[in-house]
Amino acid sequence: MYSGLKPTKDWFFTFDSARQICSLTQSPPYLRSMHIVRFLFALTLTGLLIWQLQRPQQIGDKSLPPLGAFFNPFSGFWHNAEPADAPSRLPQTVRIPGLSDTVQVVFDDLMVPHVFAANLTDAVRVQGYLMAQFRLWQMDLMARKAAGRLSEILGERTLALDRQSRRRGMLVAAENNLKGWQQSPENVRLLDAYTAGVNAWIDQLTPAGYPLEFKLLNYQPEPWTPLKTALISENMAETLCSGEDDLEATNALAAFGRENFDLLYPQWMPGQQPIIPDTGQWANIHAQVPPGTLNSGPLNGLTGLDPIPSADRDMEGSNNWAVAGSKTRSGHPLLANDPHLNLTLPSIWFQVQLHLPQQNTYGVALPGIPGIIIGFNENIAWGITNVGHDVSDWYKITWTDNTRSVYLLDGKPTPVQWRIEEVGVKGQPSLRDSVRYTVWGPVVFDHQPGHPLRDCALRWITHDMPSPKTFNIFLSLDAGATYADYREGIAGFDCPAQNFVFASRSGDIAIQVQGKLPLREKEQGRFIQEGNQSANAWHGFIPQEQLPSMKNPARGFVFSANQHSTPPTYPYYYFSEGFDTYRGRRIFERLSLLRDATVDSMKTIQLDNFSPRSGDALPVVLGLLNRPALDREGAELANQIAAWDGRYEKDLLAPTLFEVWLDSLYRLTWDEMYALNEANTEVLMPASWRLTDLLRRDTANIFFDHPGTPKRETARDIVNESFRAMQHHFSTHPEAKKNWGQAKGFVLRHMALIDAFSRTDVLVGGHRNAPNAISKTHGPSWRMIVDLSSPVRAVGVYPGGQSGNPGSRFYDNMVAAWAGGEYFDLLLLENPAALPAQRKLAQQTFSAP
Amino acid sequence: MKNTLLTILFIFAAGHLCSYGLPWWAIAPVAAVPGWVFRQSPARSLLAGFAGGFLLWLTVALLADMANGGILSARIGALFMGAPTSGLALVTGILGGLLAGLGCLTGRWASDLVGQPAKAR
Repeated sequence: MYSGLKPTKDWFFTFDSARQICSLTQSPPYLRSMHIVRFLFALTLTGLLIWQLQRPQQIGDKSLPPLGAFFNPFSGFWHNAEPADAPSRLPQTVRIPGLSDTVQVVFDDLMVPHVFAANLTDAVRVQGYLMAQFRLWQMDLMARKAAGRLSEILGERTLALDRQSRRRGMLVAAENNLKGWQQSPENVRLLDAYTAGVNAWIDQLTPAGYPLEFKLLNYQPEPWTPLKTALISENMAETLCSGEDDLEATNALAAFGRENFDLLYPQWMPGQQPIIPDTGQWANIHAQVPPGTLNSGPLNGLTGLDPIPSADRDMEGSNNWAVAGSKTRSGHPLLANDPHLNLTLPSIWFQVQLHLPQQNTYGVALPGIPGIIIGFNENIAWGITNVGHDVSDWYKITWTDNTRSVYLLDGKPTPVQWRIEEVGVKGQPSLRDSVRYTVWGPVVFDHQPGHPLRDCALRWITHDMPSPKTFNIFLSLDAGATYADYREGIAGFDCPAQNFVFASRSGDIAIQVQGKLPLREKEQGRFIQEGNQSANAWHGFIPQEQLPSMKNPARGFVFSANQHSTPPTYPYYYFSEGFDTYRGRRIFERLSLLRDATVDSMKTIQLDNFSPRSGDALPVVLGLLNRPALDREGAELANQIAAWDGRYEKDLLAPTLFEVWLDSLYRLTWDEMYALNEANTEVLMPASWRLTDLLRRDTANIFFDHPGTPKRETARDIVNESFRAMQHHFSTHPEAKKNWGQAKGFVLRHMALIDAFSRTDVLVGGHRNAPNAISKTHGPSWRMIVDLSSPVRAVGVYPGGQSGNPGSRFYDNMVAAWAGGEYFDLLLLENPAALPAQRKLAQQTFSAP
Repeated sequence: MKNTLLTILFIFAAGHLCSYGLPWWAIAPVAAVPGWVFRQSPARSLLAGFAGGFLLWLTVALLADMANGGILSARIGALFMGAPTSGLALVTGILGGLLAGLGCLTGRWASDLVGQPAKAR
């Protein structure tokens, strides 16, 4: 039918010619049908384009969002490019259902909201709204992670992680958590208010307003619930109190025997400074632990799968201290806190001021949890570090048959309780998983044949229903004014156990180890226990009044750095394979020497890059090194290290050299353990102070010998061998010879591990064993110093920014200050008008509809 | 020529108004309107539609980027294999152009289905 048309390369003109013919010939039917064909052709093409652009794309291993919606400049990612004047564009008036009165919020130049409310419920409701306004995606992700619901949005790649969360009982723990909280009607009211606040923000969202990551990962926000708040709390609990080494300790005991075990893994380091010293306060306490009921020898022959030497693990640690007026220039106490966590973007913390008629509090909140966790008000300040006692034990289950559905308990066959977990997976049918629950807890690994813990059940404190107070202790602290308020406020806080440091304007300083801590027989829970006798259970919990605490000591300071809570004279047994042995000693020294302390002297301690680990090890290893035997290159390296003072400054090379040397020394000395780990028998790795101690006191120890060589090596041989290994490493990898800041390779990672939203360009000093405990991924997530003069003043900084939006200048605007050791003044305002105009970015007024 | 300009202007204005709260592909049906109303050759309809959509999406993207100081485009660029801001803006413009162009052409050819087609200008 086209034969009569003049040939042309351009098909438009082909059709155009056809159209002209058509007009001349009064639209004969064949042309009419051609009109339909070409119209349908264009329509189809348009449809195909739209269809193609709304499909998620896969380029290589990268998943890209549907390009049409993502690039649409009105509602796609460009919409999240916050204008510089974005704060002033925040809606001036906001309606939130349920508010009893008007709430005023002013934002300072760091985008910190200062909330002025008539009562706590209103304040919490608005806090929920503000949290969602700045951090909704982060809240969603954290709740999903704890609930084992990541695969619903990320697909199969997170399925194993989700399954693991479910099997460890994270969701069960959150459900129990919520049940515990909700025993108090006050808690129910506050939780509901917070939830309503978050949902008020979600309800007004259009797809254009979704936080960027929702667009990128192509899913929609869902309503907030109180369970999600409980899940976020469980997330923190998992981070802080899930550490255990039962399998590793059991294997190590079996492999090396009791004598060596005690030599390699002593719990107490001589010279350690515990949080609470023995001042005779425990003389009359007799621990109520029934003796001799424990019947759980270590289990031999268990082999592990993923060897993760414990010495290489990044422990979640923190520092806090309070200094009495006797040691400060102002005569008033100073309080400091820097919790160390896996640092992320969006930031872990969010700064906020909550002003009520009866209280005025400033500090940091966790997105998803109402109240202020670490902060101060007009009368008191408080901070927390992790207690870190092991509260997570494995019990070996004796099954009656291989269906693993009935187990023996005190000789009686006992059926397991089944819990069905349904894990949703994007683009796939959901996975239904049946988890066995015993009297101890879930059998976590029974889906993995060959897993060493396949027949073990997990007893984990996080599964217990907490007291209602665990929810509102921070809200009570926020409102506290005196030492008595602090004691009363934190009593009953369960989990994760924290060292609560305190200082008041009236001059008191105090610290308390607070949490639900199991009452154990000696070494109970250090190894895998027999789960066939109920007598092997924890014998209750350490009574509240006997938890270690201290008020106004003569030395003029209290402090904690995740070290031992007490010296071994404390009447109750507790343990951890990860207590700090270095930061605490350094902080103790610094605080002991303090005179005339100011906020600035507190800063120098928080920013102290000296690690006592190097302080201890340097003279010992240099003393054993045969320096005359070194070649010129080796001598140069040795000189660099010998001239170094143990400070992990970012622009020094010596820390890089020393770390490689010490790492090599550690590996060569404990080669027996590395060999076992490689043979899939996970064993405990000795704490690094054990190595220094042996080098100093027992150079002929059998562990310095390489089992495979005819020679009997000593510490001297190993030190020199490890030095040569270090030298060889740097001569074969000259690119690794970098200053410490570069060598460490610090990264501030986006929560979904999106590199483009992470910061990899931040050069910082510090070391995990120095007070400024910055490792590759972990570090001070909030540095705060409070001067409890009149009026109270405070400074603080965290590595990130108030906004969770990668398209906002408030996403990472505090990173440079944090890395440079700078702090910002924290403004505890009396009223909204007290914010100086030049520091005011925006304001919002909230009221009921 | 007049209809070409009118088409571009129409898409630029109406596309801007309609994109708030409408699906991301709304520019395609919006562009069909001038394709129908401002009659011109199909080629011109397609090109004028493309120009209107391209300019609209590009302008909105660039304005957002300027107000933002390029913070986000740098991060998104890193996500798309290191694409510079100009590259992202260009992709945005082309997507808008393709949608509007095809929409405009569809409108143009739809107009042939009813009534007496007039001579193309």
